[in-house]
Amino acid sequence: MHHLKPQKTFTPYPGPLSLPPQEGKYYSEEAEVDLRDPGRDYELYKYTCQELQRLMAEIQDLKSRGGKDMAIEIEERRIQSCVHFMTLKKLNRLAHIRLKKGRDQTHEAKQKVDAYHLQLQNLLYEVMHLQKEITKCLEFKSKHEEIDLVSLEEFYNEAPPDISKAEVTMGDPHQQTLARLDWELEQRKRLADKYRECLSNKEKILKEIEVKKEYLSSLQPRLNSIMQASLPVQEYLFMPFDQAHKQYETARHLPPPLYVLFVQATAYGQACDKTLSVAIEGSVDEAKALFKPPEDSQDDESDSDAEEEQTTKRRRPTLGVQLDDKRKEMLKRHPLSVMFDLKCKDDSVLHLTFYYLMNLNIMTVKAKVTTATELITPISAGDLLSPDSVLSCLFPGDHGKKTPNPANQYQFDKVGILTLRDYVLDLGHPYLWVQKLGGLHFPKEQPQHTVIADHSLSASHMETTMKLLKTRVQSRLALHKQFASLEHGIVPVTSDCQYLFPAKVVSRLVKWVTIAHEDYMELHFTKDIVEVGLAGDTNLYYMALVERGTAKLQAAVVLNPGYSSIPPIFRLCLNWKGEKTNSNDDNIRAMESEVNVCYKELCGPRPSHQLLTNQLQRLCVLLDVYLETESHDDSVEGPKEFPQEKMCLRLFRGPSRMKPFKYNHPQGFFSHR
Amino acid sequence: MERAVPLAVPLGQAEVFQALQRLHMTIFSQSVSPCGKFLAAGNNYGQIAIFSLSAALSSEAKEESKKPVVTFQAHDGPVYSMVSTDRHLLSAGDGEVKAWLWVEVLKKGCKELWHRQPPYRTSLEVPEINALLLVPKENSLILAGGDCQLHTMDLETGTFTRALRGHTDYIHCLALRERSPEVLSGGEDGAVRLWDLRTAKEVQTIEVYKHEVSETLGPVRCRPAVCGGGPALTLWHLRSSTPTTIFPMRAPQKHVTFYQDLPPPSGQGCCVNQWQLSGELKAQVPGSSPGLLSLSLNQQPAAPECKVLTAAGNSCRVDVFTNLGYRAFSLSF
Repeated sequence: MHHLKPQKTFTPYPGPLSLPPQEGKYYSEEAEVDLRDPGRDYELYKYTCQELQRLMAEIQDLKSRGGKDMAIEIEERRIQSCVHFMTLKKLNRLAHIRLKKGRDQTHEAKQKVDAYHLQLQNLLYEVMHLQKEITKCLEFKSKHEEIDLVSLEEFYNEAPPDISKAEVTMGDPHQQTLARLDWELEQRKRLADKYRECLSNKEKILKEIEVKKEYLSSLQPRLNSIMQASLPVQEYLFMPFDQAHKQYETARHLPPPLYVLFVQATAYGQACDKTLSVAIEGSVDEAKALFKPPEDSQDDESDSDAEEEQTTKRRRPTLGVQLDDKRKEMLKRHPLSVMFDLKCKDDSVLHLTFYYLMNLNIMTVKAKVTTATELITPISAGDLLSPDSVLSCLFPGDHGKKTPNPANQYQFDKVGILTLRDYVLDLGHPYLWVQKLGGLHFPKEQPQHTVIADHSLSASHMETTMKLLKTRVQSRLALHKQFASLEHGIVPVTSDCQYLFPAKVVSRLVKWVTIAHEDYMELHFTKDIVEVGLAGDTNLYYMALVERGTAKLQAAVVLNPGYSSIPPIFRLCLNWKGEKTNSNDDNIRAMESEVNVCYKELCGPRPSHQLLTNQLQRLCVLLDVYLETESHDDSVEGPKEFPQEKMCLRLFRGPSRMKPFKYNHPQGFFSHR
Repeated sequence: MERAVPLAVPLGQAEVFQALQRLHMTIFSQSVSPCGKFLAAGNNYGQIAIFSLSAALSSEAKEESKKPVVTFQAHDGPVYSMVSTDRHLLSAGDGEVKAWLWVEVLKKGCKELWHRQPPYRTSLEVPEINALLLVPKENSLILAGGDCQLHTMDLETGTFTRALRGHTDYIHCLALRERSPEVLSGGEDGAVRLWDLRTAKEVQTIEVYKHEVSETLGPVRCRPAVCGGGPALTLWHLRSSTPTTIFPMRAPQKHVTFYQDLPPPSGQGCCVNQWQLSGELKAQVPGSSPGLLSLSLNQQPAAPECKVLTAAGNSCRVDVFTNLGYRAFSLSF
């Protein structure tokens, strides 16, 4: 292919055309573009197009006219138009070249701009980076700023001059800070030294303490041996300090109510009443075990839980057993108990054991009476000294079958306990006076959340309760003896009570037995006593039978536990010529009145243990009077069954025609009240 | 009938003694105040209790209204009889009669106005006074009792004017005859004697029965007199001294009063009986005491709303009957 030869171009049309000065040997249209003026090219273009149009029009014209000679003109014009075409082509080429050049230039410029842009970005990035670094540097907190340095004044005051270097540091804050840091370091070093010293001191002292402790612990057994050695001396001098000391040791483990009881009772016993002796029984270890620290028990719990899970998979304990266990848990007693020994005049002893039920916060007591000599219990006296009933109703209404703590009812409902009554034989009786002696007071109106044991309550009740207990035991023992005699048909009247009765008493007591409470309520002549509420289930009931000849007098006796301050109550039924009771015979009523209402005359010398026997003897005397003063029925043949032997002033008196039942001493006659 | 189980109240020594006293109490006598609103009852311990009838009968009566307004110890021995004048309450028991002012009696701690003892012959035993009778015409009081005599006492001067003797055994009751100044007395000796007050002599004797007593006599209106006790309750014709009607009741009748001219309600055993003149039993109402000793009819004109029959006897209760068909309620010591 031929390379474009440099050639000269001729421009047939008018117009100056200036060719660039050519350095090289080839023709460059590109260079030509730079020289030409686009505007003039545009004009040229327009002119060329016009010429072409003209020529075409002429050709057209000529062709349309037709003719032969026209061909040359057409040819000419054709050649001209070809030339014009070529001009157009060149112009087109030039336009293209210009366009390309323009594009290239733009492209170049753009590239440059891009490069600059990139540079700018780089620089900006660097600037930013540097700025960040600067901020970091500026924000950098040196550790030294966190240290609490001593204040400036202190620093200048305390630091030695070689560190503080006042002249230098005053002016220069940097140096000042450095100096201060130096001083800080110095101080810290000193303190570290001191600390080490102190530690070593402490070690020394600890060692000394160890040594001394050992010494003391070796002392303890020696002291014990001295105490032991002194025991015979204590006994010789009747000063049982050791024993008391041991008691107090154990007493520390008592629950609060028992502790109050123990303290008050010991105080009372020492101060007022030598017949009372107090002791603590039970296992101290168990008491201590109650207060085991919880971590141990937690471990145990987790173990036992694991075990339990295993066992439950095998066999579940029955609901009843579970409930039973819960009940037992609720009624659990504290392992320690307090024992009282009350000695009475005739050498009989009342043993009281006081327990504390932990979950119910009440105290109970169990009683036992022992006598100096062995007692042969008569049949009717079975209940007199029984542990269940000997302390019943020491105070009126205090039967000890119900729990005194009102909050217990809710606890009982949870485990299905109806009443404490079923458990008293085992647990002891929760009498109200027992709670008072333990300082526990349960106000009836508002149940309290926690009832705490109060010493003053216990102290105020101690003396009366002890006295009542002694009176109770003695009266029961007296009754015991009397019952033995009564069962043999002898009314034992002591010599100092003989004046109450005439010398000759013919009616005899033939029977003396206990009857049950229900039987008493069923008797037809005791209904008024029951209605008034004097025949509760805490009383003891007896039946006595007095006879003379054909007359039989039944006497139903209500013995209140508070005998002898509360008199026994008699109800009579006479079987002689019909049945006579207080509802159909006024004189029977009068006899009952003589025995029941006028009992104060029959009390005898204090402590009035003779009341019951005197009442029975009076009953015999009354029967005598009744039978002997009965008016004779003329329709019946024969003499009177009971001739009058008693001296009576008048046989009948008053609108109700009473018999003379009152015995007058020493004259010995009977009169009316 | 189901017997209610009594409440278990803790009974101390004092409460037990009080309960025993009430169980063995006997109310012997009653008397209505002159205003008719109060009732006095005397018992065997010598206490007198004043009940307010108007309070107990009112529509707002509560349990406390059935208790005495005031109770005081009047005598040492039982109070066997009481009677009221228009200002005084006279009570008699063991040998002496005491007077109280009704106005004072309602206040606590009242003292007796006066007390007198009739001249007794024996001093070994002081005889009781079983009956008191007011003789308004003479303004005197007749006492009779254990010494078998009727004593008359002048209420103004307090002196004992007469002593009528004739009974052989102690006297139970007295009654006054309206038309003539005659007094009837019934005694343990089984006889009813009529006495003339002017001549102070015994006029008539009716042997009711040889043995037993006549408990009380009804206030005699015209001729008949009723005698209780003995073997039967009997209506007697006084002039001829013959029994007209014998009421078929078992002995003994304890108390008898006349009521609206009909034969009286009488207490026997525990019932108040109402009779017809012909001898038939009209009504029998049980009271609350096992034996009735005293019946009292409140006929004071000043208090017509308190017109009730009260009955008392061998218990601490006084039964109140507003009409004779049933027992309304009981007052209690």
